[in-house]
Amino acid sequence: MTSKSTATAAAAAFFGMLVTVFPAAPAGAQASDWKQISKPPLHSFPIPKPRRVALPNGMVIFLLEDRELPLIEAFAVVRAGSRNEPADKVGLAQLFGQSWRTGGTKAKTGDELDDFLEARAAKVETTSDIDSAEIRLSCLKGDFDAVLGVFDDLLRQPAFREDKLAIAKNQLNTGIARRNDNPQGIAEREASKLGFGADSPYGRVPEYATVSSVTQADLAAWHGRYVHPNRLLMAVVGDFDSAAMEAKLRKRFGGWAKGPAADDPPAKQLDKPKPGVYFVAKDDVNQSNIRMVGPGIRRDNPDYFAVEVLNEVFGGGFSARLFSNVRSKKGLAYAVGGGIRSSFDHPGLLRLTLGTKSETTAAGIDALLEEVKNIVDQPPTAEELQKAKEAILNSFIFRFDSKAKILREQTTYEFYGYPADFLDKYRREIEKVTAADVARVAKKYIHKEDLAILVVGKAADFDRPLSSFGTVTPIDITIPQPGSEKKPASSAASPASSPASKDVGKALLAKAIEGLGGAANVAKVKDYRMKGKTTVKTPQGEMALAVTLIAVPPDRLRQEVQAPFGTMTTVVSPAGAYMAGPMGTQDLPGSAREEVSREMKRSAVFLAQHASDPKLTASAAGAEKVGAIDTNVLDLSYEGAETRWYVDPASGHIVRSSYMTAGQAGPGKKVTDYSDFRTVSGVTFAFQHDISVNGEKSQSMTVEDVQLNSAPDASLFEKPKEEKK
Amino acid sequence: MKIRFGRIFRLALPLLCLPLICWGQDLASFEKRITVKKLANGLTVIVCERPVAPVFSFFTHVDAGSAQEEVGQTGLAHMFEHMAFKGTEAVGTTDYAAEKVALEKVEKAFADYEAARRKTIGRDEKEVAEKEMALKAAIAEADKYVVKNAFGEIVEREGGVGMNAFTAQDQTGYFFSMPSNRVELWAYLESDRFIHPVFRDFYKERDVVFEERRMRTDSNPVGRLIEQFLAVAFSAHPYGRPAVGWPSDLKAYSATDAAKFFKRYYIPSNLVVAVVGDVKASEVMPIMEKYFGRIPKAPDPEPLRVSEPKQIAEKEVVLHDPSQPFYIEGYHRPDARDKDDVVYDVIGDLMTSGRTSRLYRSLVRDKKIAANSAGFSGFPGNKYPNLFVFFAVPTPGKTTAEVRDAIRAEIERLKTEDVSDAELAMVKTRAKANLIRQLNNNQGLALQLGTTQALYGDWRELFRQVDRIEKVTKADIRRVANATFVANNRTVARIETRESEPARQEKKS
Repeated sequence: MTSKSTATAAAAAFFGMLVTVFPAAPAGAQASDWKQISKPPLHSFPIPKPRRVALPNGMVIFLLEDRELPLIEAFAVVRAGSRNEPADKVGLAQLFGQSWRTGGTKAKTGDELDDFLEARAAKVETTSDIDSAEIRLSCLKGDFDAVLGVFDDLLRQPAFREDKLAIAKNQLNTGIARRNDNPQGIAEREASKLGFGADSPYGRVPEYATVSSVTQADLAAWHGRYVHPNRLLMAVVGDFDSAAMEAKLRKRFGGWAKGPAADDPPAKQLDKPKPGVYFVAKDDVNQSNIRMVGPGIRRDNPDYFAVEVLNEVFGGGFSARLFSNVRSKKGLAYAVGGGIRSSFDHPGLLRLTLGTKSETTAAGIDALLEEVKNIVDQPPTAEELQKAKEAILNSFIFRFDSKAKILREQTTYEFYGYPADFLDKYRREIEKVTAADVARVAKKYIHKEDLAILVVGKAADFDRPLSSFGTVTPIDITIPQPGSEKKPASSAASPASSPASKDVGKALLAKAIEGLGGAANVAKVKDYRMKGKTTVKTPQGEMALAVTLIAVPPDRLRQEVQAPFGTMTTVVSPAGAYMAGPMGTQDLPGSAREEVSREMKRSAVFLAQHASDPKLTASAAGAEKVGAIDTNVLDLSYEGAETRWYVDPASGHIVRSSYMTAGQAGPGKKVTDYSDFRTVSGVTFAFQHDISVNGEKSQSMTVEDVQLNSAPDASLFEKPKEEKK
Repeated sequence: MKIRFGRIFRLALPLLCLPLICWGQDLASFEKRITVKKLANGLTVIVCERPVAPVFSFFTHVDAGSAQEEVGQTGLAHMFEHMAFKGTEAVGTTDYAAEKVALEKVEKAFADYEAARRKTIGRDEKEVAEKEMALKAAIAEADKYVVKNAFGEIVEREGGVGMNAFTAQDQTGYFFSMPSNRVELWAYLESDRFIHPVFRDFYKERDVVFEERRMRTDSNPVGRLIEQFLAVAFSAHPYGRPAVGWPSDLKAYSATDAAKFFKRYYIPSNLVVAVVGDVKASEVMPIMEKYFGRIPKAPDPEPLRVSEPKQIAEKEVVLHDPSQPFYIEGYHRPDARDKDDVVYDVIGDLMTSGRTSRLYRSLVRDKKIAANSAGFSGFPGNKYPNLFVFFAVPTPGKTTAEVRDAIRAEIERLKTEDVSDAELAMVKTRAKANLIRQLNNNQGLALQLGTTQALYGDWRELFRQVDRIEKVTKADIRRVANATFVANNRTVARIETRESEPARQEKKS
């Protein structure tokens, strides 16, 4: 058509600099010809196999010759890492990792070793990791004997001199001081804490207090406990003769006495992340860092291979869904990716990453969640599967394209107790993976409702508030200062307490129990039922609702609220947590269920009954005026539920309670004022509760009736039946 | 996590300007394994045989970087680098003929929109909004023809790994590795992307580049500091401009602008392609000729005119920030081809390398005021006169003033005392060993060979530098230190911690 050719000519003229400047493609590769370009078969490549030497004392050594350059490299990897640290000395492994080398040996200081090695451009360095510590050497082959001597000396006779421990502490403390400067660092760290648990060996981080508590004796003890020939592997690669090297190492290490057997296998299962929405405020950024974490798998899981293919489709390379959709199509991110990670001897995490400008934070979360949903609902197509498998299999050669890599793989499998031919198995299994396999593992391991969503950023600039994704739990990343009694934020943190305040706290708790009617009467309470009216402030005005609450401490509760639109029933029991209403019955989301569980652990009767339980901590926290009364303040904590009581010193009545709660509109400080105290069967209850949240009045409840020990039927705590419509 | 591409070397790592060593035996053995050829169109090919495993790596060095950009168009070199992954006329489109037309419409819509948006007098908001809608519609239309990430996908399916690229002030580099039976496929793809690039998805990719800027610079305290530091240290020379580009420039340039940059600078005489691995020169050279020989010859671009005038006044940048303190000071020095280049390398090594270095022993070990401190040059590039920088990371409670004084004390020692024989010997030994350690890695070798060939015109400089380092004397070090590290040649930048304050409201545009 004329107009089209005119348009084309015009386009060509306008776009001249791009198109017409180059001549037409010469004979040779044309449009789709790239598929015709010849690919001769890859010539066969015998993968060299390291020689494995097992000494009678349990030490295993791998040797692999590499004559290309006149270098020798070696390492010894020890089974001990940060996951083995005691909780009050987090950071010990890192300090060990540094001081092992810098602290020198019995015979030579670290500085002397530095001079000796640098003069030969040789290196002996030490590091530590979550599950291992390592000492490495690198030198010109002519210097090997001398450098091996240093290596051995450090391996078996380290001194951990104080002055170098001090420098190592400076390094760690500098890291702590700077850990909130970059939003990516915050996101990675807090995501790991959410994924594994803030106090878990895989999530916890060093603090000033834990670093300062590490002594030279601790390091020596660590070394004494873990560095034994039967707890480590050694590997050597480079320009040497294997037989001669074996003889040399046997001679040197053969006489090293075996140590005690390992007695601390790592936990194979870990707690799952607590799903929910989490927020870290960081205002000096214009980009949000979003992470989503969920449970991952171990590498010995038979699903591992299908998961690897799934990861390639989902978050692997250029054609992966995350990159292609969130970055290339939507332009929402530069950095985006993720997958189901697997560790060798413990579960990894499902981990998703996204960085997007503050103004598209919610859009970014939407986009990620859409991909999470789609990978299950629209599992990888045959074409996606093909691309992924080709990418993995065609690049397989890069797993063993250097001697050093081959050696590393072998030592890794040996370290974790995997078969030496695991790589071969991997290849075979990847080839077998089908579309059905990938769909199955997507469904099995990717669940939106299991994800903990973390956002680090500047809330004021977000396109939508984070609460639109669910109840938001703020994370306080304030770095606990050295010397402060505030423990790092964690669900198990207990209120600041000194021995003195603990004694006063115990006495105060005793007083409050007296106010409740005395320990004997309180102990008799097996269950209680409360009926009353609660006036709730709503946007539509004040509503008066009838409420019935039945509680069987510690873990069963049923609450019925009669609202104008129908009755809302909430049930919590070990078997499950539900909410039923005119619209039907649904499971209570994890976060809500936890909140109810915490509420139960805050009830006065419950806490009073657990006064002697070691899990209960009680500390006095000064005095405060509530209304006309000069109350004594008592901080209580039980299994992650913290409460503050304001106790009337005269009567022992708890006239006020306060705690942080994760409410529907977000976290808030809930304060309840109690009055109208009456005794029922020897136990004192407040018949008037006035509640405010974040300083604003929210509810007031008038109790009409309390009954104790009515033995409620078990069926009351089962899943409410759906109302017939 | 993997950063896909568009890496910008902001802090020139010592790796790139490493003391490059000559070790007699190695040069001889490499002479046998390396073949260099300049094709008829001016493109230089280097093939290095290293048949350790059936794989190869390559590095394409383009002798043009952000220093070539014009004022008002910073970020263009980097933008083109992103475009180089968008495919060609053959790869990445469902119908190039139709797409071409649609892309031309996008350019027109963008030009209209920009004209309305940038009006200072008589700007009509309604018109701006309408033009923006029209632009979005044109983009959506062109998008219909796009097969996302086709180029990268082909490479990955064929077993390619480590696919990435970077844009620096001096150069742009492209690299990845492949199984060795894909050499011809690679040659086709790599050459075609520089013959028939298509600037598809340009405006979408700009959003991606903006996110990259936010990640590396805006939301990163040291990133913010370095950007300001360079802008102040260089008054005239393009080294003062960020490679990722100023935000207003990023918003304003078009695919047409990027195409002009490409046309001017991506010419064969500016390209060095190094291939290292399980390849035989006799087999690979003909393939290289066949594919890279297609790139049409073009006139050399005009070399950079501007030189940074001699600095006559000390300059300082202070960033008041909620983050921890940080200190950096820089001094102007000549480019990499200067006869004293090796002396600067020796000074850098002496100050920085390992626990025996001057800065470690003073600031970290003895005074305990820093967790880390280093001095090195080639910042932000080394093709043109650049900076020798010293930086330090103070330990908690220590100040920038303390680390500054300690650094100055070490500089003073360099000027007034000879270095010891032992120290000088250590530097020279280290230089040899460092080179050897780099030789058993295909990708690293390809990068070193390509870069060295481009900078010096001869890859052998990689080895000859060791001979030059051998000849450096104590007097050289003192002479160069005294000439360079003087107050009126210095730019200081520091982060000082302050409590958070409400951010200044920025005009959102």
